Amino acid sequence: MHVEVTKHDFEPKIVAFVCTWCTYAGADLAGTSRMQYPPNVRVLKFPCTGRIDPVFILRAFQKGADGVLVSGCHPGDCHYMAGNFHARRRFAAFRALLDFVGVDLNRLQFSWVSAAEGGKWVDVVTELTERVRTMGPMPEFKELEHEEQWSGAINTPELKEAYDSIG
Amino acid sequence: MSRIGVFVCHCGENISRTVDVEQVAKAAGEIPGVAFSCDYKYMCSDPGQTLLKKAVAEHKLDGVLVAACSPRMHEKTFRKAAEAAGLNPYLCEMANIREHCSWVHEDRDMATAKAKDIVKLMVERVRKGKSLAPITVPVTKRALVIGGGIAGIQAALDIADAGHRVVLVEREPSIGGHMAQLSETFPTLDCSQCIMTPKMVDVANHPNITLFTYSEIEKVDGYIGNFQVTVKHKARSVDESKCTGCGICMTKCPKKKIPNEFDQGHGMRPAIYVPFPQAVPNTPVIDRENCTMFQSGKCGVCAKVCGPGAVDYEQQDTFTVEDVGAIVVATGFKLYTIDRKPEGSPIQGYGEFGYGTIPDIIDGMTFERLASASGPTGGKILRPSDGKEPKQVVFIQCVGSRAREKGISYCSKVCCMYTAKHTMLYHHKVHDGQAYVFFMDARTPGKGYDEFWRRAVEEEEAVYIRGMVSRMYQRGDKIVVMGSDIQVGVQVEIEADLVVLATAVQPQDGADLLAQKLGISYDKYNFYSEAHAKLKPVECATAGIYLAGACQGPKDIPDTVSQASAAAAKVMTLFAKDKLERDPVVAKVNEKYCVGCFACKKVCAYGAIEEKEIRDRQGNLVKKVAYVNPGVCGGCGTCQATCPSKSIELDGYTDEQIMAMIEAL
Amino acid sequence: MNAKANKNQVTCIEPDYYQAITEAIRKEAVKILKDETVVGVVGYLPGRRKGTASPALVTTVEEAEKLIFSPACVNNLSVYLTKAKKGVLKQGKVGIVAKGCDMRALAGLMTESQLQREDLFIIGVVCPGVYGFGVERTGTLTEANIARKCRECTVHMPEGADVAAGTHAELADLTPEEAQEMARIEAMPQAERWAFWKEHFSRCIRCMACRQVCPFCYCEQCLCDKNRPQAVESSPRPAGNMAWHLVRAMHLAGRCGGCAECERVCPMDIPLNLLNRRMAQELKELYDFEAGLTPVDKGPLNEYKENDDQSFIK
Repeated sequence: MHVEVTKHDFEPKIVAFVCTWCTYAGADLAGTSRMQYPPNVRVLKFPCTGRIDPVFILRAFQKGADGVLVSGCHPGDCHYMAGNFHARRRFAAFRALLDFVGVDLNRLQFSWVSAAEGGKWVDVVTELTERVRTMGPMPEFKELEHEEQWSGAINTPELKEAYDSIG
Repeated sequence: MSRIGVFVCHCGENISRTVDVEQVAKAAGEIPGVAFSCDYKYMCSDPGQTLLKKAVAEHKLDGVLVAACSPRMHEKTFRKAAEAAGLNPYLCEMANIREHCSWVHEDRDMATAKAKDIVKLMVERVRKGKSLAPITVPVTKRALVIGGGIAGIQAALDIADAGHRVVLVEREPSIGGHMAQLSETFPTLDCSQCIMTPKMVDVANHPNITLFTYSEIEKVDGYIGNFQVTVKHKARSVDESKCTGCGICMTKCPKKKIPNEFDQGHGMRPAIYVPFPQAVPNTPVIDRENCTMFQSGKCGVCAKVCGPGAVDYEQQDTFTVEDVGAIVVATGFKLYTIDRKPEGSPIQGYGEFGYGTIPDIIDGMTFERLASASGPTGGKILRPSDGKEPKQVVFIQCVGSRAREKGISYCSKVCCMYTAKHTMLYHHKVHDGQAYVFFMDARTPGKGYDEFWRRAVEEEEAVYIRGMVSRMYQRGDKIVVMGSDIQVGVQVEIEADLVVLATAVQPQDGADLLAQKLGISYDKYNFYSEAHAKLKPVECATAGIYLAGACQGPKDIPDTVSQASAAAAKVMTLFAKDKLERDPVVAKVNEKYCVGCFACKKVCAYGAIEEKEIRDRQGNLVKKVAYVNPGVCGGCGTCQATCPSKSIELDGYTDEQIMAMIEAL
Repeated sequence: MNAKANKNQVTCIEPDYYQAITEAIRKEAVKILKDETVVGVVGYLPGRRKGTASPALVTTVEEAEKLIFSPACVNNLSVYLTKAKKGVLKQGKVGIVAKGCDMRALAGLMTESQLQREDLFIIGVVCPGVYGFGVERTGTLTEANIARKCRECTVHMPEGADVAAGTHAELADLTPEEAQEMARIEAMPQAERWAFWKEHFSRCIRCMACRQVCPFCYCEQCLCDKNRPQAVESSPRPAGNMAWHLVRAMHLAGRCGGCAECERVCPMDIPLNLLNRRMAQELKELYDFEAGLTPVDKGPLNEYKENDDQSFIK
């Protein structure tokens, strides 16, 4: 059952925040069913999407993620009754915020993948990976990581003097 | 510096076929803080586990990562092994390099790289992990059952028979509920009271059951294993300890013309009364609103005739606090009425049926009483308006049920069957009478149910008309029923002597208020919500509270009894151990930094978060903070994501662990 | 626009108007201090320089008679109850002068159990608006010197206050500058929006004045000061700045009362209220939530409906 493996110029880094009861189990099912999907995704397991803090997504982007997936149980299926309902509102708001500051929301995917939806997991991960691959690396947050407060250029005599005096 | 051991499993060839396990082990060994790493053919085998245990001892490991299959597969196995080696089991984690890696990727290089990454992330999780101890909660082995209908009775008897003490609380003066009102029951047509009353007597005589009738739940504190329930005992005006149940007070009471609730208002009772002759307990209660003594201060006949001196006009409501470990809610149902509904109610009345003003339009429960040998007519089918025997009876199904425009979209489940039963009872009693049934569908799933329905149609001569009734009005002493037969496609008009409505099953009045006291959830109709529609149909989301019967949704007697026994079994499971052990993945509050905004409390689906007062030595209130009851917390972590200052933290999934993993990306 | 609104619309608000409010506040403050309804009143005293005002807690009748209200009374005083003068609430009931936007903050703080209504005596101000920053302070409020947030004020009437000072008046035909700015940013291509905010945030010096002045930033330990783990880099570098402002906007979502104090105190002129407004707008669109003048049971991000929008979820 060997498939041709295509080499790409760009391998995006995809981070998936998933709940343990539905999506993690769905990803397990994809494994036991020997489905194939791009190996770019790194899965972080949470008890529930309700536990996932927007800060984590932010941090993932800062740490070089080119795409982020958040996935949990379908509404009504939450192992903890309502965690995914709270998450849904939280991320609806967070998306709006990211959009407003100019983050391309195509890099941030939300999905409901149940423990029975191994196929959907594969679809979601593949689609996000390929979409991000065509978009290329996410420069925004990574650039910020490397930027300093001023332009970075030592372009005034005062700065030059200060810089030289550091020794 | 931590000393973590990483064990990479080949899983035969399942992993090693696509992942270079040696490389993964080697790379793991280079991660700072990893003191030992190796790969092995089958980590889950005995030798594999021995390898792990030995390594823990030899290398003084303080954390273990097994890179193998899904933790859903073998986390327990390896945690047990780690525990046997002297490590806290929560310091053992698994990196899923099989289901999430080797099985889903073909490219060996990329799969190996991914496996290394997964291991790297998980090493951080282990590094930041904490030792956790299972949470134990003491359990009071005494149960509370709310509601003394067939559901509550069954649950109480089952729990009591298992040797546990039960407190059964019933709001009415007698237990028995709706089932005691029924004439005969489908699908066997056995007499309801004949099978019900022995159970009621069993409850009264059971040494393990404390029965509180004419009582209500006032307040519920505590949590699973440790509830404190305040029960309000309404003043009966009759001292239960003195009353012998001789009934002379009832025969002598001068006020006898009060509509009897038990007969749906069609029989009469005195002001001091038991709801029905077989009531348990057989202690009368004074209906203060209708008693001359209470209304005008004059009379006192019952007190005078009472030999033991049990009548007590001064009696007050009393309260007791009952310590229980589990609660079964079995508050049952009421029937929808077609009356005009109060302004703003989402549920509408039936103007087209005269809003309940036509006396010979009755509901199914009234028909039960008419058909019952103990009912107001002695079991004869006589219509309320003039006491004549009706020769044409129209039964209408789905009145209120499955009627979105009336505010109720659900199916009441029992009406198809009891309407079929009614047509049979009618046919048995009025041989020359004709029963018509307007119905949308006949829903008869259940053992012997469809056979029963077919009997009504094929042998007992009921005429079933598929269609709805659009209007009814009085013409002379007849009720004109205008409807449609959609199968034939014609309008139908029947002059009926009596109309019986199969009205919708609704939760009892005050179901929502009780739910709020219990901290359980309910749907928009006030039916109580189970924790999971399929897998936890008996449990409430609030731990230690279970559901039985029609308070959860419309149910017939067999289903109700099954669920009641299931709820009892759940209670017995809980009571099987002295202490309840729970997974320590629960939230904890940092009281130093919590400022008490209680956002966590608002999002907690378990009601696990309480307000706690922090006081100084002089007893002055310093601040209020959140407190998580570990016995109740479900461990979802929604509170932590909601807390702005992260002063509440979920053990096992701390921000430190997660951030460390993200940093390692 | 209805006739009633038109009737109250004027071209400028004269000092007399503010003087009348001042009188009403003084009268009320003196009364509640005298009859010991309250232990103190949080209000505004004249600033040292002419045409300015500074927040103060007055506890005597003499001081109360000096209280003022003018277009210079820009501060949201509710922050005094949770932070600056937190202790005073322990001594008894406190009076507070509150504009409509301040009252929304008070309501929010009540929602979040930080204040109890019965602990407060709210002297509501029927506020026509206050000065913007860097404007000419003539004592008269005009289109030229009104604050940006006041241009689109919907809470001139402090409904739910114990007493209200002033009669309804508002400036006519104000251009909704902030709404226009919002629309402008939203119309930008995504990369341009990023550049816009990146430029603004990179100027941030992390003085934390925005946090300090915000009535809702009352946490004893801010997430952004934590170092185990460090979720947000604390030094004033672009990466940490971006994270800080996003976390801040997210934490205020569904809570912010729109007083725009964060924007007023920002020494680097970062248009912070735009972020808050964007969140408020989203929560209004999605969940029909608007910060109001009375406390609610749960904020929009602390509750849910089973049929909430999930069009963005696959």
